[in-house]
Amino acid sequence: MLNFLKQVGDYAKETAQAAKFIGQGLSVTFDHMKRRPVTVQYPYEKVIPSERYRGRIHFEFDKCIACEVCVRVCPINLPVVDWEFNRETKKKTLNHYSIDFGVCIFCGNCVEYCPTNCLSMTEEYELASYDRHNLNYDNVALGRLPYKVTEDPMVPPMREFAYLPKGAMDPHDLPKGTQRAGRLPKDILAELEAEAAKKAPAEAVEEASK
Amino acid sequence: MTPGSITPGIDLQGTFVRALTDLGLPAGAAKTVWIPLPMLLMLIVATVSIFICVWLERKISAAAQQRIGPEYVGPLGALQAVADGIKLIFKADITPAKADPWLFVIGPAIVVIPVFLSFLIVPFGQNLVITDLGIGIFLWIALSSITPIGLLMAGYSSNNKYSLLGGLRAAAQSISYEVPLALAVLAVVMMSNGLSTVDIVNQQSQYGILGWNIWRQPVGFVIFWISALAECERLPFDLPEAEEELVAGYQTEYTGMKFGLFYVGSYDNLMLSALIVSVLYLGGWSFPIPVEMITGLLGISETAPWVQIITASLGIVMTMLKAYLLVFLTILLRWTVPRVRIDQLLDLGWKFLLPIALVNLLVTAGLKLVFPFAFGG
Repeated sequence: MLNFLKQVGDYAKETAQAAKFIGQGLSVTFDHMKRRPVTVQYPYEKVIPSERYRGRIHFEFDKCIACEVCVRVCPINLPVVDWEFNRETKKKTLNHYSIDFGVCIFCGNCVEYCPTNCLSMTEEYELASYDRHNLNYDNVALGRLPYKVTEDPMVPPMREFAYLPKGAMDPHDLPKGTQRAGRLPKDILAELEAEAAKKAPAEAVEEASK
Repeated sequence: MTPGSITPGIDLQGTFVRALTDLGLPAGAAKTVWIPLPMLLMLIVATVSIFICVWLERKISAAAQQRIGPEYVGPLGALQAVADGIKLIFKADITPAKADPWLFVIGPAIVVIPVFLSFLIVPFGQNLVITDLGIGIFLWIALSSITPIGLLMAGYSSNNKYSLLGGLRAAAQSISYEVPLALAVLAVVMMSNGLSTVDIVNQQSQYGILGWNIWRQPVGFVIFWISALAECERLPFDLPEAEEELVAGYQTEYTGMKFGLFYVGSYDNLMLSALIVSVLYLGGWSFPIPVEMITGLLGISETAPWVQIITASLGIVMTMLKAYLLVFLTILLRWTVPRVRIDQLLDLGWKFLLPIALVNLLVTAGLKLVFPFAFGG
């Protein structure tokens, strides 16, 4: 009899606990309703890609020396470098260069290793196309510069989370002239230069006194 | 319950029939003209409530997940359900090659019709109900047990293993939760000495919020609410259409408006359950402070026409408000509680809710004998 009563008690306790936990869960869900969405309504608003964004690759034809380092560092040897050896100048001349962005994984190894910096990564990411062969960019297509979001009159550009002022969560309706938290690289550079300039005359005086 | 304390409220039917007979129509014809009007109104109310429910569901779900939700269709996305409906109407209506064509067509209709019929007994005021049936709430219980037959038909006739499993699960679930649901209702009925929904509300409305059944039947309220969620196949009891296991359960093979009927049926059922809970436990159309008390304090006659109109609209607003609060709670529950397993579901129904509902019924009966003034003796 006592055992039975204990079982009933345990069961009741478990039920109360279950109810308590469901209540806790409900309060969590309810609490989440106060948190406002930070959605950026994509085609109508766009996030500004960060400085180190790895988008579509840009290629400068005239800088390329056809060394094929990009091909060697590429995980799948993707860039196609079509060159000829010019016997008179004893140099390679580049005929065509192409990268298929349907296959590229945008790892940026080619950009990293290019000895003449003729490759660079842009902030372009809207590469959708009706035919995958359109994604095979030749040197002309690779040489095009992307359209900047900040210069698009139709689309309000939105700053990414790391570029919002301290405490701000939502990129919408920020007051004008707000800066992100911390100092900007150009401010740091200006400060360093100013310091160097201050130090430089002092050094000159020291040297003169010697 | 003292009959004198209840004001008759506005009698729309009486006024309408009298107006027509004054115009020279015979009384029978006047009544015939009246009959379709409240039915039509109720159909419109039920349909509009689907739109509101869908909108609430999407917006509250979005808020709980820090999304925005529908925004572009109508103001704040309120017409999203209309857009969905129009899309469903224009979709190709496919019947699978080896499906049973008759059952396949009848299934969704049998699911939806009882839900719409049940709106007959939902009162929004003393006379603002289509029929004040003597069996009232029992009609709803009876009608709601027709739905699983439709679901089983739909599941069986689709000739698809997922549909069949979903249909069987729906039937098993509805049958198991019908029992505690009916027992919880029985306890309320015992206290109000009648099955009529209008009587049930009147019995609660004397002391304002303190008189509501939720204070006298807290356990019954929880049992009823859980069972109602299971009857509606809402999360956490949406096993019959569990996407991850059964594709979409009995809805798998349905497209176009037949699928739309299931959709309409489920949201209408949710709305209906919320309305019934507000009628049974939350005092239906009654205001938290009794209207008679307010009019008494202000020294206004309750029977003045403008007071009656305000009381009637207040009643409708209160009923809807309570129902939508419950809908809000279900949506919150949807994003809080994970889906239960089928064995857990049946365990909860048969081994937990059923005994508790029985004990609740017995305790209510005992209390009714001991304290007849408080428990409607």
